[in-house]
Amino acid sequence: MQDYRFDEHFDNYPIAMAYIPWQHFEQIFDNLEEAYEIGTIFPELNKPFTGRRCVE
Amino acid sequence: MSHKEQMFRDIGIVDFVLVDLILYLDTHPFDVDAMEYFNHYSKIKNQMMAEFAQKYFPLTGDLAESSKEWSWGMAPLPWEGVC
Repeated sequence: MQDYRFDEHFDNYPIAMAYIPWQHFEQIFDNLEEAYEIGTIFPELNKPFTGRRCVE
Repeated sequence: MSHKEQMFRDIGIVDFVLVDLILYLDTHPFDVDAMEYFNHYSKIKNQMMAEFAQKYFPLTGDLAESSKEWSWGMAPLPWEGVC
């Protein structure tokens, strides 16, 4: 299996294609009960749907 | 919440942590930090499952250590609303 390149240089990528930046493992929620209720153990993936727009 | 319900909920939480780590590792199969977390929580979940089986009833068939009665068969069914 190929190893993954995490150094992304988006300037080199062809235009008109969609790209998803790689997630990097940094930390998980200290409070796992909270993570369970939020629906992810990764704080950076906590993106609640507000009905209007995405939360940064 | 009874001790049994609390334990059952905690097992669910740890299981969820494992599912999320599995999803991450599926796309990052060489991430040793994430694997350490996975091994850690996998061990904890196994301990909790074994403890729950010993105190109450087995949550999976392979945890049914039975001698006098078949504990897996005696366990409440999912639709019986016990857990």
